[in-house]
Amino acid sequence: MKISENTRLFLHGILNSYSQVFFSVNKVFALVILLVTFFDFFAGISGLFAVIITISIGYGFGFDKHKISKGFYGFNSLLVGLGLGVYFEPGLPFFFILIMASVFTLFISVSLEGIIGKYALPYLSVPFLLGLWTISIATRQFEALGVSQRGIFTLNDLYLIGGNTLVQVYDWWNNLAIPGSIRTYFISLGAILFQFNVLSGIIIALGLLYYSRIGFSLSLIGFYTAYLFYEIIGANLTEVNYSYIGFNYILTSIAIGGFFIIPSRLSYFWTIILIPLVAILTISLNSIFITFQLPIYSLPFNIVVLLFLYVLKFRIKSNTSLREVYIQQNSPEKNLYSFQNDIIRFRHKLKIPFKLPFWGTWFVSQAHDGEHTHKGDWKHAWDFVVGDENGKQFKGEGDYLEDYYCYNKDVLSPADGTVEEIIDGIEDNIIGDIDMVHNWGNTIVIKHTDFLFSKLSHLKPGSIKVNKGDKVQSGQAIAKTGNSGRSPYPHIHFQFQATPYIGSKTIDYPFSYYILADGKNYSLKSFENPRLKDKISNIEVNPVLKNAFHLIPGKKLSFEVNNNGVSEMVKWEVSTDVYNNSFIQCENSGSIAYFESDGNLLYFKHFEGNRSSLLYYFFLGAFKIQMGFYQDMSLKDQYPLNLLFKRSSLFLHDFIAPFFSYLKADYFVNYEFLDNILSPSSVILKSNVKTYLFGVNQNQIEFRLKLNTAGIGEFEFFFKNRKIKAKCLN
Amino acid sequence: MDKLPFERPFIKKLSSGMPSKFGIKMESDPITEIDGMQISDLIKEYGSPVFVISEKTQRKIYNEAKRAFTTRYPKVQFAWSYKTNYLDAICKVYHQEGSWAEVVSGFEYDKAIANGVDGKYIIFNGPEKSDADLEKAINNDSLIHIDHFDELYSLMELSDRLKRKPKVAIRINMDTGIYPMWDRFGFNYESGEAWDALNRIMLSKKLDLMGLHTHIGTFILSANAYKVAASKLAELAVSLERKYNHVIKYIDMGGGFASRNTLKGAYLSGMDTAPSFDEYADAISSGLINSQIRPENLPILILETGRALIDDAGYLLGTVIANKRLADGRRSTIMDIGVNVLFTAFWYEHQIAPAQPFSHHTEETAIYGPLCMNIDVIRENMIFPLLKRGDHVVISRIGAYNMTQWMQFIKFRPKIVMIDTSGKAHIIRENETLQIFAEMEDTPDHLKEFKL
Repeated sequence: MKISENTRLFLHGILNSYSQVFFSVNKVFALVILLVTFFDFFAGISGLFAVIITISIGYGFGFDKHKISKGFYGFNSLLVGLGLGVYFEPGLPFFFILIMASVFTLFISVSLEGIIGKYALPYLSVPFLLGLWTISIATRQFEALGVSQRGIFTLNDLYLIGGNTLVQVYDWWNNLAIPGSIRTYFISLGAILFQFNVLSGIIIALGLLYYSRIGFSLSLIGFYTAYLFYEIIGANLTEVNYSYIGFNYILTSIAIGGFFIIPSRLSYFWTIILIPLVAILTISLNSIFITFQLPIYSLPFNIVVLLFLYVLKFRIKSNTSLREVYIQQNSPEKNLYSFQNDIIRFRHKLKIPFKLPFWGTWFVSQAHDGEHTHKGDWKHAWDFVVGDENGKQFKGEGDYLEDYYCYNKDVLSPADGTVEEIIDGIEDNIIGDIDMVHNWGNTIVIKHTDFLFSKLSHLKPGSIKVNKGDKVQSGQAIAKTGNSGRSPYPHIHFQFQATPYIGSKTIDYPFSYYILADGKNYSLKSFENPRLKDKISNIEVNPVLKNAFHLIPGKKLSFEVNNNGVSEMVKWEVSTDVYNNSFIQCENSGSIAYFESDGNLLYFKHFEGNRSSLLYYFFLGAFKIQMGFYQDMSLKDQYPLNLLFKRSSLFLHDFIAPFFSYLKADYFVNYEFLDNILSPSSVILKSNVKTYLFGVNQNQIEFRLKLNTAGIGEFEFFFKNRKIKAKCLN
Repeated sequence: MDKLPFERPFIKKLSSGMPSKFGIKMESDPITEIDGMQISDLIKEYGSPVFVISEKTQRKIYNEAKRAFTTRYPKVQFAWSYKTNYLDAICKVYHQEGSWAEVVSGFEYDKAIANGVDGKYIIFNGPEKSDADLEKAINNDSLIHIDHFDELYSLMELSDRLKRKPKVAIRINMDTGIYPMWDRFGFNYESGEAWDALNRIMLSKKLDLMGLHTHIGTFILSANAYKVAASKLAELAVSLERKYNHVIKYIDMGGGFASRNTLKGAYLSGMDTAPSFDEYADAISSGLINSQIRPENLPILILETGRALIDDAGYLLGTVIANKRLADGRRSTIMDIGVNVLFTAFWYEHQIAPAQPFSHHTEETAIYGPLCMNIDVIRENMIFPLLKRGDHVVISRIGAYNMTQWMQFIKFRPKIVMIDTSGKAHIIRENETLQIFAEMEDTPDHLKEFKL
């Protein structure tokens, strides 16, 4: 049976409302929680009913279906439903109240999203608190509602559902000889769902372990930190009245230690600092709320987590060791592995691709923090010159401007932009002389964005081909190199700056891509700052590579896959989503591989779906490809661990991942063959994946990509004596 | 104290009208070594005369030329002009540096293939290409530069027969404002013949038009002529794109760059008049970049520079045979270097330097070669010091054409030695011996015996 997209989103919304209680969108975990809520059958019904009501209203109002399906709006209503279900007897008035409560909770959720969402803060379970408090205060007046006594006679209920066996199982679990603190831990977990018993706690703990190892270990860390703190202040957490609020420590710990913050040493450290604060708040708030006869539920957790997340936003420098999660993948592990990988791959990723401002191979005669003039406010600048094979910048004696190889060469615009400022008319100095009056000499400043300008200085007088206000394209010749201003010998002075003035202070901003030559070896540098004496040039794009990886939305690719004699057809389509993420989707398996490409470099960012699909192997084998062909050049990269290793291999690793990683997955591609430089028609790339356990190579997959003028010709890969060959049919 | 050598008394005419009060320095400094090897040692080891090639100079000049172009134009490719010097070792130095091969005959084509050049990177020029040569070039995907319509028809026929699309360019001749205008090779631009050829190529769909080629002449002392030529080819490329939506892959500007040798009859020395690579590069790249070709379609610029790359790397070492006074009173010096090995003596006023310190008393001297022929004149008239029999001389800048155009006339052709970048000498071509000639010749039986 094929269910419609809307039904699918609706069902997801229901399930995710359960797992969202623990910040998760894991379906298995959701089912575990759903099961536990039904330990109190009526409460379970009540919770489910509240969720369904909330989601239906959400649909009716026309809220974002994807947010609903993520369970964002449902989980607070679920908690309200569970809370009410536990305390009241079923009946028509109850369900009427429940509908009111669900609507109210939804409205609070949406309003809070509007109010604090703009500070990028989550509303956590604040709607639940407001909803449940409001209803429970009011219901004191509602005589038609009968207060439930099931909580007191749990065994009777169980007997009704499962007979004597269930009662015995329940009893056996609850009377297990487990230490007091662990018992309290389990009860605290159960208490999140208003199930104050050990069995619920154990089941939830297992669900939590299945969902996230980091989350599970944090729940223990949070709980035991609080436990120790209570010991120190002379109280005992295992006492009954505290165990009802023990989940505050668990939730705070998961939220701060691993969910809203990338799990790290520092996030764990702050968790341990904040738990005692939660404990103090618990005690003080309890004293206040007792006067209104209201339980504080998860109030301390909400206060501390929101405060902490808000405070973090006032930091001026982004701190890599305590980094907020920007793209929430609803799993501490996924967040961590993507972050670790992003740090390696995209630390300096830029919106605007910058090229070197010249043709051919030049070298850097003064880099950032240079020894001559690149100091202080002007330290992030480069001087570029041309050198011969002996490193000399001139022929003959070098007494004349014309002796310098770089003199009178075209200077190019490093990116698209608008000419902001021009100085012209300053004479070139004779060699060795400097013009201290006109420090920068003839100069062009180009505006690329509101706060990003590039400045090219010491140009030849009269050589500037553009006017103020002209639009310039990347790579357009705009002037010639000269020797004007404070320049003893011809060179290009290049800097990035945040303001449009000549003489502005420089900013540290890298070039997007360039080729570094070391003898006959070439390597690609991306988002890096050229260093002193580097011999550098722009990427010369190869038409075959460029055409083969020109993946524009709407492009369809079909492959005939031959897997050890069995052949199969696979179809892909390239498209983009509303956030402008490009991806390839496999029509056979529904798998999606996200990529980015700017004409110089193609790289894959993420993969979702079936890991035995051809698309997954393509994602691995073409993980990062630059579009210039340089014989025997190789590129390296690293995969996010969660996209390469199986869940089972990562299970133990997850526990210690915030501190130490013993797994690694490397990507390597080699530019092996080009048939013809002049009119290339065939390129072969060889790439491989290698996985490492404590630095020892474990597995290896080898890929061979044969590209031709029509595009991706053939794609083969070999592993464990298996060979799979895919032939592109278009 | 050693006894001073005897110098006989002489009377010297004062020359006037020179740029400075001391006049132009008419004598050259002695050249005693090449890349650290003593001239006397080289002659002792390899005989006299002997050709010496400096690998270091070869690479240095190649890089100078490459730098001049690559810093001005984004896509540049050099193709080594085989006819300038097709000694395997010399070609391979350029191939190692990344040069393709430019050949003008079946013999050169085979030589390039034997040198290990991939057929795809051989440019096949010249007016004479046999069907067999063309077939080979087509099968190797070489770049065939068409010289005349008859060749174009042959290629079309071969294309049908071989079921392959030959990769071709046409050679175009044009008026670039220089004299003489070369119009014997290729199709003329101004008369519309070039368009005629292009139309036939495009409409036939049998040939793959890769590029446009011109070679405006040889020893061109005006860089501007190249700018005119480049602009005209660029215009043609733009029109081709408009008319046939066909984007050519390359523009081949040929060669013809002057070396710093002085041409016979030139008023000033070649040292002062020959444009530098920078001037040629500036002219050509500005001609192309300032054209209407769209930046993404900028063709690869191919250069077939030969002479300007190799001339300075070659030296010819020789020995004085005798001195003689001519009837008109001029002095003459006879050396073992003749026009048989120094073919370029017909065009250049070669610079000849003694290989040892010498007297500063110079005199107008005629320099003759060893051949028993009246044409064997190296320099008609040159200010030269008196050298003794057995003294050595060095003629520099002779790397181009001499080792391909030399003649085997009454003497064996000498050894060619290359000094590598670490200063070690290698023989890259042995001298000829009688045995080589004996092997090639055969005498009919009835002529074998005779009695005098």
